[in-house]
Amino acid sequence: MQKIEAFTIKAKEQAADLVIFPELSLTGYVLRDQIYELAEIIPGPSTKRIEDLAKKTGTHIIFGMPELSEKTEATIFNTAVFLGPTGFVGKFRKMYLPTHSVFEEKRYFRPGYQTAAFSTPVGKIGLFICYDIFFPEVCRITRLKGAELIVCISASPAVRRRYFEILTVARALENTAFLAYVNLAGVEDGLQFWGGSRVVSPTGDLLTQAKYDEEDLVICEVDYSDIRPAETFIPTLRDLRPELFDELKKHSETL
Amino acid sequence: MKLTPTALELDLPEVEKRISRFIKEYVENAGAEGIVLGMSGGIDSNTVAALSSLSIGGNRVIGLMLPEKETYNSKDVNDAKFVAEKFRLKTQICEITPVLRSFYKTIPIFDQADKLCKGNIKARTRMIILYYYANKLNKIVCGSSDKSETMMGYFTKWGDVAADISPLMDLYKTQVRKLAAHLGFPDELVSKPSTPALWPNQLAETELGIKYETLDLILYGLERFMTTEEIAQQLSVQKALVEKVKSRWLSVEHKRRLPLTLKIEYRTVGTDFRLPRHTY
Repeated sequence: MQKIEAFTIKAKEQAADLVIFPELSLTGYVLRDQIYELAEIIPGPSTKRIEDLAKKTGTHIIFGMPELSEKTEATIFNTAVFLGPTGFVGKFRKMYLPTHSVFEEKRYFRPGYQTAAFSTPVGKIGLFICYDIFFPEVCRITRLKGAELIVCISASPAVRRRYFEILTVARALENTAFLAYVNLAGVEDGLQFWGGSRVVSPTGDLLTQAKYDEEDLVICEVDYSDIRPAETFIPTLRDLRPELFDELKKHSETL
Repeated sequence: MKLTPTALELDLPEVEKRISRFIKEYVENAGAEGIVLGMSGGIDSNTVAALSSLSIGGNRVIGLMLPEKETYNSKDVNDAKFVAEKFRLKTQICEITPVLRSFYKTIPIFDQADKLCKGNIKARTRMIILYYYANKLNKIVCGSSDKSETMMGYFTKWGDVAADISPLMDLYKTQVRKLAAHLGFPDELVSKPSTPALWPNQLAETELGIKYETLDLILYGLERFMTTEEIAQQLSVQKALVEKVKSRWLSVEHKRRLPLTLKIEYRTVGTDFRLPRHTY
């Protein structure tokens, strides 16, 4: 929480309008059974404090936290929260929960069922989380809902860096949208998160990239007028073939 | 997937950086003064000594040489000293022969001829001394087990494997050798044959019955979910050899885990008490 506060103030001093923190940045990623003590409902004490920060600094803030369902006692979501100067903007619950290799998210989280795109003073912002990037339909739907800047918060260990470096560029390019990828840095329980947060342009160019492996703050200007030429040059949205989605559905049901 | 030596190639500067960061962050988060580690003179402990020193500074690292009369080899001591000097870490020598003799005399059923049981006493004695230093000086014990010996269970349970962190445990022996070369070790140390030194003239490859170059590729194939048939075919070795390695890997899981208990209550240590190592 203190880091979120300090970095938001620092970013604001550099004229940032939107400040993004990684997946589960409020608590850390490797929580295991401690998650039951740390998960909070939204709105709750932590979102309240960060909402106050957003109001005080006049910034929009996106961060990750374990969200406790308000209807049950121990049902938790891996959630991206979006707060702004006027309060709560929205949230996204991670849809694809990795449960393989070092990941055990299905043990702790219930998946989300909704994609998310919000119209805000800082643009139409879409949200998804980490492993969702491996499923292009999440990003595609987010884009089809109108998102111009798609934010992917992440907790990706170093051994997977190459995959995310490829996929972040691919998702931006195939959707002709800006993509901000914001990853954890540092070591938790032997897992080394590779940092390297980045903003990718609608034509797949890296606009900025944070340091690998270390905490860092990078700032980047996003010019939404770049989308139109990109969308004209590579008209992937114009060329969508909805009938293929029926086929995709059919084949994935019979895998 | 092709099982050739290139499969085991690493980005060595990146690996060095990652291990150094891992060691440094662990020591800092533990609030420890530094590291104590055993230095046998072998490639693994020399490498981990060098990395420890590079990550937190040699003045915070103590390399303990723990020789004993039966397996004493001045070259091992000299090799350890060479590395300690090159990477500027402190060393101390504790000759453990008197302790071992006391054990041999104290145990009513002690069998001088059973070299494995006797050898394991040596490894566990070293562990006790390392942990004394760690306790006394507020340091952590840094282990030197590599992935090859850990997968094969080629270590003494609660002995040489006992440590707070084991930075090399995800690197095969041949990869550790390459890392050592990258760190500037002379060829002679890089290619020095490995021995657990539990008894005189013990050599790891002779005892395991396989060269590390082959073993590591078999283990790499198993790690990547390849079948024994695929591995044997690609390496042009007998399937029986691959199956022997696989069988040994699977049969020694008990050496890599906490003691097994049965489930009686609500949440159980080692099974469904799932906690992070750090606390919040």
